[in-house]
Amino acid sequence: MTTVLDRPVVTQRSAVELDGVGKAFGRGPDVVTALSGVDLRVRPGEFVVLLGASGCGKTTLLNLVAGLDEPSTGTVTVHSSRPAVMFQEPALLPWLDAGRNVELPLRLSGVGRADRRARAAELLDLVRLGGQARKRPHELSGGMRQRVALARALAATTAGTDEGGGLLLMDEPFAALDAITRDFLQGELRRIWAATGTAVLFVTHDVREAVRLGQRLVLLSSRPGTVVGEWNLVNVDDRESLTDEVTGRLREVISTHART
Amino acid sequence: MPAPEAIASPDTQDAASVGAGLDALDTPTVARRPLLRRVLATGVPPLVALALFIGVWQAVWASAIWPEYQLPAPLAVWDELVSTVADGSIWSITWTSVHRAVLGFAASVVIATPLGLLVAKVPVVRSAIGPLLAGMQSLPSVAWVPAAVLWFGLTDATIYFVVLLGAIPSIANGLVAGIDQVPPILPRVGQVMGAGSLDSARLILLPAALPGYLAGTKQGWAFSWRSLMAAEIIATSPQLGVGLGAYLKHGSDFNSIPGVIAAIFLILLVGVGIELLVFRPLERRVLRTRGLAPA
Repeated sequence: MTTVLDRPVVTQRSAVELDGVGKAFGRGPDVVTALSGVDLRVRPGEFVVLLGASGCGKTTLLNLVAGLDEPSTGTVTVHSSRPAVMFQEPALLPWLDAGRNVELPLRLSGVGRADRRARAAELLDLVRLGGQARKRPHELSGGMRQRVALARALAATTAGTDEGGGLLLMDEPFAALDAITRDFLQGELRRIWAATGTAVLFVTHDVREAVRLGQRLVLLSSRPGTVVGEWNLVNVDDRESLTDEVTGRLREVISTHART
Repeated sequence: MPAPEAIASPDTQDAASVGAGLDALDTPTVARRPLLRRVLATGVPPLVALALFIGVWQAVWASAIWPEYQLPAPLAVWDELVSTVADGSIWSITWTSVHRAVLGFAASVVIATPLGLLVAKVPVVRSAIGPLLAGMQSLPSVAWVPAAVLWFGLTDATIYFVVLLGAIPSIANGLVAGIDQVPPILPRVGQVMGAGSLDSARLILLPAALPGYLAGTKQGWAFSWRSLMAAEIIATSPQLGVGLGAYLKHGSDFNSIPGVIAAIFLILLVGVGIELLVFRPLERRVLRTRGLAPA
């Protein structure tokens, strides 16, 4: 954690690996299968987008990776440092200013006061909020709050050692923002991802957002969630037609639910 | 590792200025009223109301509908207050009551805080004593005075017992309500950052519950002050010294209506004073840092 701007050496290991992961809630006749047979690998530093309609178990999957829940079947292996989670709402602590919100994960992992203050200032600079550290959440706009949340998540996932880089889990983080701010933040996320080299697992139901942001796009079906399609986006030139293609596939997947 | 492909380059160049523009446009603006206007707006109406009240009182007294021993002149009450100031007894009377109330209240906070935490976080404890704790608030603590006199005699223990039973339920219930109203996303944030239960309570749960807790302690203060007055009025004895309650009782015993009204006025003054000087500023500060009260 000496500097954010160095990309960690990329190895062939994965940041996180899911093997045949299934998750069911409840028992007996009321059982709800949220996920079944999900295989997914995110390489260190890779930007993977999970796309799916409602009920595809996106949030369940992120909870499993974050260690908030245990899979019913299969295994989840996290090789990176502790994954950080960003939610749809910024979830900043309203009684702490922006700087101290970013410092919180560092404080929890026992980083000294001076170090964590310096690190928080560095991360706030990265999200273009340098000099706003003393502002409280209610004094910031929605987009600024979400950037503070991003800086906090980065602080959390890079809090321990810097080996292997971090892993950022993002649960529709821009869904609650207005269109202009969302567009701006998507660009910012790309820039910050490139600058920090953290792996990102980004969940969304917005095809356009998925195609714009990801290096790899994974399509999940709904009830139960399984992987039904995958696209490599790294060398795609025509994003418009790919957006149409993915949208078409998504509509197909959704239509299957009308028949059951 | 494939390098992230460049997003449209004008985007990248403009991003900084677009971001700065969005921030400038979207940041909530706060209009501050000038200090003098605020002081006038909050200070003048209560003073006018007080003046009106005294005016009506004076008029009713002058019309002599009620005999003098039931309705004193405002000036008679004023003279009574001045005489207690002149012989210095006002300070010892007020101090006797205030220090009892503060001590009782402090003890209540110390007892009620862990109690509230237990009720809020341990389901068994909540179902066992939660309803009792909530019900205790509707039991006037003056109901405990006769029992306390039988148990502890006419001692300070009686008074503190009544004060504690008055204040503890309010403070504990306030903390429980405060914890119940913490948005579930906040403890989750702590959880994903790997906060242990102790860190989570100290750094997230308790600060998040502070507004509710503070409201509870404010009510707890009001209850301990009321309970104290009830105890002092009923349990009077030379060993207990003269507090505001005993002073009021003396006024009544000697058929001195100005004394009674002066005592009521002092009791009200202390209650309102502590509320305005201690709890109001504290509450405003807590709410303002959270963006819940206007600056």
